Amino acid sequence: MTLARPLATKLFPAATALAAALVLAGCTPATTTSDSGSPVTGGTLVYASGDAEPSCLDPHVGGNYPQALVASQYLETLYTKDADGKLIPWLAEDSTVSEDGLTRTVKIRGGISFTDGTALDAAAVKANFEHLLNPSTASSTGYLALGKIASMNAVDATTLELKLKAPDNSLLESFSMPWVAIESPTALARSQAENCAAPVGTGPFKVESWKKQDSVKLVRNAGYVLPDPKAGHAGTAYLDAITWRFIPEAATRYAALQAGEVQIIDNAQPDAIAAAEKNTAIKHLDAPRPGASNRIELNSSKAPFNDVKVREAFIHAVNVNASIDSLFFGTATRSYSPLSSVEPLAYSEESLFGYNPAKAGELLDAAGWGQRDSAGYRVKDGTRLSLTFPVSTSQSIPAEQSLFEQMQATAKESGIEIKIKLLDLSSWYGELFTNNYNLVSAPYTKVGPGVLSILFHSDSTVPAPSGYFANLSQVKDPSLDALLNTAGSTKDEAQRKDLYGQAQKKVLEGYYLLPLYNQQNHFLYSAKLKNVGATTAVATPTFFDTWLGN
Amino acid sequence: MSIPGPILPTAGSPLAVQKPHARRRDPSVARWLAARLPLIVSAVVLLFFALAAIAPFLLAPVDPLAINPAQAFSAPGAGHLLGTDESGRDIYSRIIHGARPSLLIGAAATAVGLGLALVLGTIAGFGGRWLDFGVGRVLEVLFALPGLLLALVFIALAGPGVSTTVIAVGLTTAPGYARMIRAQIIALRTSPMVEAATVLGRSRTRILTIHILPNALAPLAVLATLGLGQAILWAASLSFLGLGAPPPAPEWGTMLSSGRTYLSLAWWMTFFPGLAIVLVAAAATVLSRSLKSADGR
Amino acid sequence: MSTPAAASARPPGFSGSPVRWLLGKIGGGMFVLWAVATAIFFGIRMIPGDPAEAIMGGPGSQASAQALAAARAQYGLDQPLYRQYFGQLWHLATGDLGTSYSLKTPVAQVLGELIPPTLTLAVLALLVAWAMALLLAVLSTRSGALGSALGSGLEIVSAAVPHFWLASVLIMVFSTMLGWLPPVSTNTPAGLVLPVITLALPLAGFLGQVMRDTLMEAQRSAFALSARARGESEVGVLLRHSLRHAALPAIALSGWAIGSLLSGAVVVESIFARPGLGRALLTAVTSRDIPMVTGVALISAAAYVVIMALSELAERLADPRIGAS
Repeated sequence: MTLARPLATKLFPAATALAAALVLAGCTPATTTSDSGSPVTGGTLVYASGDAEPSCLDPHVGGNYPQALVASQYLETLYTKDADGKLIPWLAEDSTVSEDGLTRTVKIRGGISFTDGTALDAAAVKANFEHLLNPSTASSTGYLALGKIASMNAVDATTLELKLKAPDNSLLESFSMPWVAIESPTALARSQAENCAAPVGTGPFKVESWKKQDSVKLVRNAGYVLPDPKAGHAGTAYLDAITWRFIPEAATRYAALQAGEVQIIDNAQPDAIAAAEKNTAIKHLDAPRPGASNRIELNSSKAPFNDVKVREAFIHAVNVNASIDSLFFGTATRSYSPLSSVEPLAYSEESLFGYNPAKAGELLDAAGWGQRDSAGYRVKDGTRLSLTFPVSTSQSIPAEQSLFEQMQATAKESGIEIKIKLLDLSSWYGELFTNNYNLVSAPYTKVGPGVLSILFHSDSTVPAPSGYFANLSQVKDPSLDALLNTAGSTKDEAQRKDLYGQAQKKVLEGYYLLPLYNQQNHFLYSAKLKNVGATTAVATPTFFDTWLGN
Repeated sequence: MSIPGPILPTAGSPLAVQKPHARRRDPSVARWLAARLPLIVSAVVLLFFALAAIAPFLLAPVDPLAINPAQAFSAPGAGHLLGTDESGRDIYSRIIHGARPSLLIGAAATAVGLGLALVLGTIAGFGGRWLDFGVGRVLEVLFALPGLLLALVFIALAGPGVSTTVIAVGLTTAPGYARMIRAQIIALRTSPMVEAATVLGRSRTRILTIHILPNALAPLAVLATLGLGQAILWAASLSFLGLGAPPPAPEWGTMLSSGRTYLSLAWWMTFFPGLAIVLVAAAATVLSRSLKSADGR
Repeated sequence: MSTPAAASARPPGFSGSPVRWLLGKIGGGMFVLWAVATAIFFGIRMIPGDPAEAIMGGPGSQASAQALAAARAQYGLDQPLYRQYFGQLWHLATGDLGTSYSLKTPVAQVLGELIPPTLTLAVLALLVAWAMALLLAVLSTRSGALGSALGSGLEIVSAAVPHFWLASVLIMVFSTMLGWLPPVSTNTPAGLVLPVITLALPLAGFLGQVMRDTLMEAQRSAFALSARARGESEVGVLLRHSLRHAALPAIALSGWAIGSLLSGAVVVESIFARPGLGRALLTAVTSRDIPMVTGVALISAAAYVVIMALSELAERLADPRIGAS
């Protein structure tokens, strides 16, 4: 049962070339497979998710990826991304911004209603934004995205005017995220418990029922109107219904797919993907998430990483590529950028990140860590070169945890000690909030390069009342701040690209992070399922054009 | 998963009546060996793993932490006796070197559990009616709480790690042992020997320390060996939930848990650590049963 | 713990009136529930972290100070500790288990839906374990020394098998390789087989060891001897005398077994993606959802109390001499 190892080495050289091309050109979020044969209407799709069951089906509340996955079926957004990765209006028709950038006007498409009969209009959108900005909704992602809105005014039925505190050129990108999806204002007026159980939207499916820990039942929206007629087939969805199940165990999930009990699974593990490649009955959808790449942040706020030489040394002391080769079976491509490869504005610099233990040794010696103790680790003034690395078991898949273990073993050769702490999510956040870490891997999914401000602006080191802060490498660089401020408010696309590129260069050359790969988002599905591949802007699959064959 | 241990028939049990007829002694050495075979095998198994715990490099000179990504997922064979894991580490070596942390966790957890149980059981058995009642109620509450809940809450309190695992498992197994010990002490307290001592005017402390405790400790050996296997299983389950010894420790439970991901790819990653756990737990059980029958109870 | 002499001096059955026994059990049960609620109340509050965050969706929620304060006020978390404690006791006494922090729905409602699946799993597992243990014990006492040793060995090994390992192996063999059974558990007979076996097997190993010991002793006891002397067949002796004795410790253990089955259910429900109290418990503790943890703990404690009372009843019915306190 050993896997043919050449699979990985064969793919790798091709993969680097591809990655380079993708980075330069700005790749598509996912490939759409248009299967031949005429679509069959009917059937129930069973989707098995490996993520934790959401505690609320309304993505306004909280705002995490499992919510986005399921909400993408029954809610729609003002903007979305087309198959080429371009931002296009969806529930909105058009949008303009004033000269000074402080007033944004959004035109809402007419003729669309929510499944409870309420019409989609400017007042409805305003009600949604108010819901998101209301502290008692407890939105995190959506709240941040709309943070610069000062006031809103529904000028007429189809026009919404937003007054901003400061120019925000990532607003439309924010509008494309399921966490800012548009729900029926009538439904929003209900109690939170009611709305969490069955949110009402405009999507091709609607929520019928939710049996906790069992499944969510979605049925076809018989009154669905495709906002952009060119974007898909005419009429309603082919599928009768979708059953959304939660199967946290990877092996069980894959076994269920093989047994035909479910037709599509997410969070597919690398070895399952590799096995499925040989199985013609199972197909693979690779949809990397937008926003940041999957990276390790180096805490520059305290020793030993407050010294850039030590940061650089650490990066050269670990052999990420060898680990990715052996652990990911060719399903993950190495990233050298702070941004995901699906971001058109991603900037990468491979030359900074080579495995070079000799250079690491030189840098550490120069930084004063020339002595070693009896266990072989470097010491300086009696202190060992020791790095604490809290790892969240819910955010790092087993292959990634093994990758960290391999880094631990390789870093030891250069005299660096890494202490890995496996923690549950709450305890993991606890370590971060008390600044009790030197290394951490924290994914961040967001549409657009604006995520760079969230991750690297010095304002992001200020904790929220809960203790949360996003700038985990704790970069506090005034020149970087200035770059990010201008990049986030300029109306000139070329200037935006240039400034964000410079910001990424600064962050990479400061060795504040070690990019690993894209945020992995792999789906495996039965070959009976046709026309799979359409995704939202956050790489969640949608099934409007999908049909079940035999 | 907390096991109260084998049921020791108490002095008044209706079944502790007749001794079987004296067995005819068979002079054949083969027969003698066959009867003792399980005990011999168990003793050998336990000695092997004890040696692995004490001097692992003697049995497995290869470094258990040495990664070799090029050789990941190698099947058992020449090169690697029991195969390699996802980082190319030798599994045989990891099992041998993992004996110490695994057995230590098991032994320490059992010690904690028994220690706590000894205190509780003695107070209950020897301290008079009200103390007995009080401790009895405490024990009942501890029994009523699901073991895993106790362990989870404790780990959430103190953070995951070896010492936390040890204390958590000790806490969950203590109530069962406490009940055993209490029953034992009560039986001893009402025995003719102690009655005689009381009549002779010996102080309560003397009776407790000289007459009762030493005799109560004998069945403890039985419980301890049985508990060892259970403690290792508990610790393995906590590792499965991600709450055990931190990586890269070659602890059996952690190996079992991380190998599970690759079950269809590399069955040897779970089979051999699992086998080690089962062997130790089973051997400990057989040993404890032999001790019990030797004890005559 | 009375001597046979003392026991025979009392009439068989209950030492006092059944009503008194029942009242005693109810009182004891109330005490246990109160103690469990108190232990959870103080225990969980010792865990670092702000409960208000758990309400607002977890530590990564970036909730504003205003929102956190509002959540605290809504759930009564800003009141002094003693008031919270007595308030909770009062709620529990009136049957109000509170509202789950993460699910925002009443705990009683959520748990009400989860009890039947876990109960089904636990009861079936217990019955199957009993059956397996009984079968093995009886078969091996009838087939001589070798059979006995084999049976004993099987029991010891199966008691030493970890649940999660067994579950993974069963799925791999019976679902992926053979395709006979579904990997995900449903309430159909086919969907229950693997989870029940996973839970039952280790328990069967343990129960079997206990049963075998007492069965052996019973077979050699005075009762069996006199029965055989009266001309009863081996089978008759086995069924009418020995099994009744062997059943006693197994019945006593069943009460404890249900508690350990819940711990095992956490693992089994997670791997087989089965809704139930075990999974709920795990999620509740990791997300610091205090009302849910309290709810599950209380249900488990109540179940334990009830089962213990029932098994004590069964013991007394099986052996009338067990009537002394």
